[in-house]
Amino acid sequence: MVSHRDKELLRDDVRAQGMKLTAAHRESILKPYLPDPSELPRRSPQRWRKTSPRKTPIRTFLKSQLHQLTYTLIHILFGIVVRLIQSYHAVVDRIFAIVYYHHRTPELIKKDVKNLDRLPEHLSIVLSLRKEEDALTILMDEVAELAAWTVSAGIPVLSIYEKSGVLKLYISTLHRIVTNKLSAYYGSPSQQPALRLFAPHHPVYQPLDGNSTEKSNNNSLIVLLLSATDGRETFVDLTKTLAEMSQNGKLSPEDITMELVDAEISEITTQPSQTTSSTSVGNKPAFDPTISVKPEPDLLLVFKPLLKLDGYPPWHIRLTEMYCTGDKTNIMAGYAEAVEYQGFLRGLWHYAGAQMRFGR
Amino acid sequence: MATSMYLSKLRKWFLASPPIEIAISKLRELLVGAIKQGPVPQHIAFVMDGNRRFARTHGIETVEGHNLGFEALARILEVCYRSGVKVVTIYAFSIENFKRSKFEVDALMEMARVKLSQMAQHGEILDRYGAKVRVLGRLDLLRPDVLKAVNRAMEMTSANGDRVLNICFPYTSRDEITGAIRDTVADYSQPLRSRSSSQRTPFSESHIALNIQAQSHNVKVEDTGSDIESTSEPLAHGEDGAKHDRPNKVYESGSSFSSSTTLDLAGHQDIANAKKVAQRAGEDSEPPVFMSPETITRQTLSDHLHTKDNPPLDLLIRTSGVERLSDFMLWQCEEDTEIVFLDVLWPEFDLWHFIPVLLGWQRRISKSKKNPDAEGDFNGDVTGSSENDMSDEVLSSSTKVKAL
Repeated sequence: MVSHRDKELLRDDVRAQGMKLTAAHRESILKPYLPDPSELPRRSPQRWRKTSPRKTPIRTFLKSQLHQLTYTLIHILFGIVVRLIQSYHAVVDRIFAIVYYHHRTPELIKKDVKNLDRLPEHLSIVLSLRKEEDALTILMDEVAELAAWTVSAGIPVLSIYEKSGVLKLYISTLHRIVTNKLSAYYGSPSQQPALRLFAPHHPVYQPLDGNSTEKSNNNSLIVLLLSATDGRETFVDLTKTLAEMSQNGKLSPEDITMELVDAEISEITTQPSQTTSSTSVGNKPAFDPTISVKPEPDLLLVFKPLLKLDGYPPWHIRLTEMYCTGDKTNIMAGYAEAVEYQGFLRGLWHYAGAQMRFGR
Repeated sequence: MATSMYLSKLRKWFLASPPIEIAISKLRELLVGAIKQGPVPQHIAFVMDGNRRFARTHGIETVEGHNLGFEALARILEVCYRSGVKVVTIYAFSIENFKRSKFEVDALMEMARVKLSQMAQHGEILDRYGAKVRVLGRLDLLRPDVLKAVNRAMEMTSANGDRVLNICFPYTSRDEITGAIRDTVADYSQPLRSRSSSQRTPFSESHIALNIQAQSHNVKVEDTGSDIESTSEPLAHGEDGAKHDRPNKVYESGSSFSSSTTLDLAGHQDIANAKKVAQRAGEDSEPPVFMSPETITRQTLSDHLHTKDNPPLDLLIRTSGVERLSDFMLWQCEEDTEIVFLDVLWPEFDLWHFIPVLLGWQRRISKSKKNPDAEGDFNGDVTGSSENDMSDEVLSSSTKVKAL
């Protein structure tokens, strides 16, 4: 730590645009704060050994022992503090979970977010597949719950990121599960909000049934399924295509601008491939006017004990607010953070810059 | 109000008194030494946010706030490097920041210039401690005098390498990614040196190719035919995904014809390809030979980023309670990067805020080392390689799928 006197000296120098002190003078101020060269890992031994003849084996040994001891002590203390904080948060979370419960009533959810100043237009959620046997079922149920809460809160777009991309394989099943969940919240199909499900390079999944034309509920929800391959691998694919074009002389590297990359990358998540053309990708980027997804999520909720992005597509999270629900609550939930309504709500409240209170 | 001012003055006086100062610095030393005993993140990134807000709340000039921010940076760098962090990346200036008031931008530029040129005066100290300074970003947007200082500082320290300080100066991550793509494409558009000039064997590849074709199909290769094939090739190349995978394999394997499997398959396309390649080789690299784009991987792109030589990012810390990345290190925030948002303004940021983060990190790492399946899911040093293997696997499987 720089002592007060030296700090003032240096600050004066800064105010004078670095003209006040000479290089030698600054060095002399600096000298006491630099670590002893003898403590450094040997880089160029022949050069510095001569200047550091002072060998203090006992002092060094004691010092390292002291540091070891401090390390252990600090970690024991820190562990206790962390446990205390965790238990505190666990209790608070339980209380929130009791006070704020959705009771499968969209009106109640609507009420919970009514007073918020702003809601995200595009909510993104990072989920992880657990290691249990029925992990996929749990995951799908979580997605269904989240979809129901999201649409009840009035958020039109929900994107779910799951690293392995297993959800994309079961889009139709997932659609059925979500629809079932929505019917538990909303009742008969005519009162349900319109649900559309899609993944990059997949068509929009929206089964057409007879009575879906006239809906009393004009809310709608678009669920976008993302996986790790939509992230950095997409850039690899894009680079491959661009490299090929460049090799064939159709494009020069100078033509690659941020706008071009942005347009190409955004297209993947905003424009699903046409419903009619089955799975062939990229032959014609036909624009479906009914789908308009804002590519940049406004809020990213991470249902995990830690804020780790887990390989989330990097391009669009530039200005995304991030919130980790399970920061300290992993003591009870064990490995993977459970997706809970209070966590979801906490994220929305946090996004709006509001504090959550006990009691609605 | 008055009492609180007196109190803060008293506190300041107390903290500035020599015995207390010595005690605090000893305590810091002890803590840093203790941190050093455990695992330490190799690469930490900081978003130095809150200088302006600090200045506003404390009623000082914005520029003064930035100066205090610089002091905080110096404090933190000391802690980082002493405790064994190899690379520190700081977000000093975003390309978007050019939109701020001219006065502030100029002041920041001036500060950077002064600091960097001051640093250049202490070359010997930098050498002794092996510090390497790199300025990442769009250097072409800088003023010429600042650019000169930047280049001087980078040149002076370029031989060092134990401890690296990356200063992201006019930087945005999107710009960096775009640049990486552009550079990769440019690299792959460089024709490989004509193979015939640096022949490893006395045999001519084109001759062997013709022979094999003649054997397997008993067709005499006509020059006109091959001409047509080769001219129509770029079209087919662009359109047919399944088809272009094969010629790529051919390129990939160093010498074009070391893998005879492509020829043994002996589909129509293979003949076309063989003819095409034969044509190329025969014409003595007149149409240039390129590296196959299929060899581009995530690693290729990562290698073209500004942070290419650095270990993966372990920890990203943003101060001032803003919970966004703001176009910083988007690509580098991978699976195991822990992002921490602290509700403290940068000029106030010190060891005391930093230590809990480090301790938490150490705790998780040592826990996950004991029990690799547990929540921390960090595999220590193995991560890099296994991850690469994984991505390679994914890649190869995806190319397989494409080939099918």
